[in-house]
Amino acid sequence: MARITVAPAWEWWLVWYFFLGGLAAGLYCTAALIELMGTARDREMAKVADYLALPLALVCAVLLILDLGRPERFWHMLIQSETGRLMFKYWSPMSMGAWALFVFGGVAFLSFVGVLAEDGRLGLGRWRGVASTWRHGTLGVGFAVLRAGVGFFVAAYTGVLLVASNQPLWSDTRLLGALFLASAVATGTALMLLLRLRSAAPASLARLQWLNAWALVLELVLLVGFFLSLGALATPLLQSSYGRMLMGVTGLLGLVIPLVLRLVQGWSKWVTALACVLVLIGSFEMRYSILMAAQHLGLAGR
Amino acid sequence: MAQAMGFYTDTTVCIGCKACQVACHQWNGLPAELAEQPTATRPGKSLPITGNSYDNTGSFSDVNWRHVKFIEQSARPDRSDLRWLMMSDVCKHCVNAPCLEVCPTGAIIRTEFDSVYIQQSTCNGCRACVSACPFGVIHMGGTENTGQGTAKKCTLCYDRLQNGLQPACATVCPTASIQFGPIEDLKKRAQQRVADLKATGQTKAQLYGADERILGGLNSFYLLVDEPETYGLPRHPQLPSRSVRASSLFSIGSAILLGLAALLSCRRRGEETE
Repeated sequence: MARITVAPAWEWWLVWYFFLGGLAAGLYCTAALIELMGTARDREMAKVADYLALPLALVCAVLLILDLGRPERFWHMLIQSETGRLMFKYWSPMSMGAWALFVFGGVAFLSFVGVLAEDGRLGLGRWRGVASTWRHGTLGVGFAVLRAGVGFFVAAYTGVLLVASNQPLWSDTRLLGALFLASAVATGTALMLLLRLRSAAPASLARLQWLNAWALVLELVLLVGFFLSLGALATPLLQSSYGRMLMGVTGLLGLVIPLVLRLVQGWSKWVTALACVLVLIGSFEMRYSILMAAQHLGLAGR
Repeated sequence: MAQAMGFYTDTTVCIGCKACQVACHQWNGLPAELAEQPTATRPGKSLPITGNSYDNTGSFSDVNWRHVKFIEQSARPDRSDLRWLMMSDVCKHCVNAPCLEVCPTGAIIRTEFDSVYIQQSTCNGCRACVSACPFGVIHMGGTENTGQGTAKKCTLCYDRLQNGLQPACATVCPTASIQFGPIEDLKKRAQQRVADLKATGQTKAQLYGADERILGGLNSFYLLVDEPETYGLPRHPQLPSRSVRASSLFSIGSAILLGLAALLSCRRRGEETE
């Protein structure tokens, strides 16, 4: 099919947004899964997400706003500038994403304040009881489900946003949402493991290591599926530096080697630390390659 | 809604004069595209020639909302049989418009003339429409008088239409290659023209976008005498939303698998160590 599309110039601001947004969402839904399925001792792991999700979401908001041609009009995504009514298009992934990020920011704020109260920081200790009710009983389950849902959504929508276009590579697959989601959980668990490697209980670490490994397996399967789904376009991609980096840095360094290291070396701390760093690097590279390849490979003519 | 209005472009009578490009620039206050803008002390520099026949813009851009294409066809090495296909390209004002579908701010609207219009005061420059347009029409940019940092494309001279005038390009076209009017009338005229051309041996004469097969119909449709690809037109342009359902389902499937993985991880290690 002749293509005459123009690249949207979604470049470095968005590469960083895709990575950090995926990380924030991955951390957050992992924390929610831990709250729902883990033990009380696993709470220390979930706290990492409660501390980091809000700052990361704020950085993401800044990146997204700076990427706009008219940054001062960022609020047009949420409110119709002409009428003052809410701007909501469920069939536009970007509109849904803007709302998802807005909700994510709100929920992450509650988690952030909650964890400050829980740890008695910034003079919020007296609210510890209130914060506790948010994490226990029916309310706790409901809040955790909401966190998991909004986390999964923010992690996946960026991929769906790329697919819902007419750009080469992006619109030729249906797997980017799923791939970005698996990668988000892989990076979220990896960062949690890195930051809690010394302090967390061995059982908590082990549970998270298993989840991390499963996420890596799923991501690897989806990465292979992504290449296969491209059909004839896989060849020019694989022949380019973007494709080679996707295979080498993301596939080999960021997915296969961490999985092999664990199979061979078990769960020792240095192996886990190394594997987690590789996973984070691989995930960043994946978002870089996928964003840039479609726009710079010259797959669209005029 | 008033009657659906649009363009019928008969490429067989285009002579490549570019009057449409000039009229578009003049009416819409679009500056010339320069390699270097003039300053108080130095003159500006014009762009180098494209090297692609008489094409002077190469593509659409933020200031080129019309683009006259020159396609040179020749089978002989000495090019003695050369023929030119010329086509004045423009926004297709699709009935099911990809750009309008994805626009998250509501800046892109359908007007009472069934055209697709970008409200410059609302657009925030997210570029989702650029990514969605299968024809490469929309570009970012802008000058002081047309709004900076927003999406730009043909407006079907919305301001002129509201005042009972027809678009500037159609007004100046000296060969009636660009015809403006009610879409239904234009279609009848175009179908008759195809029949006439076929009768004279132009077997490849065809309409592009005159029926619903292409994005529900194009309110700027074309009469071509070769395949769409020859003119740089996609044969099967599609809506971005075609893939949202499948992509979402794959994502939900992934989320379920990860949830199960979490359940497995917690169960398994819980039994072993606590």
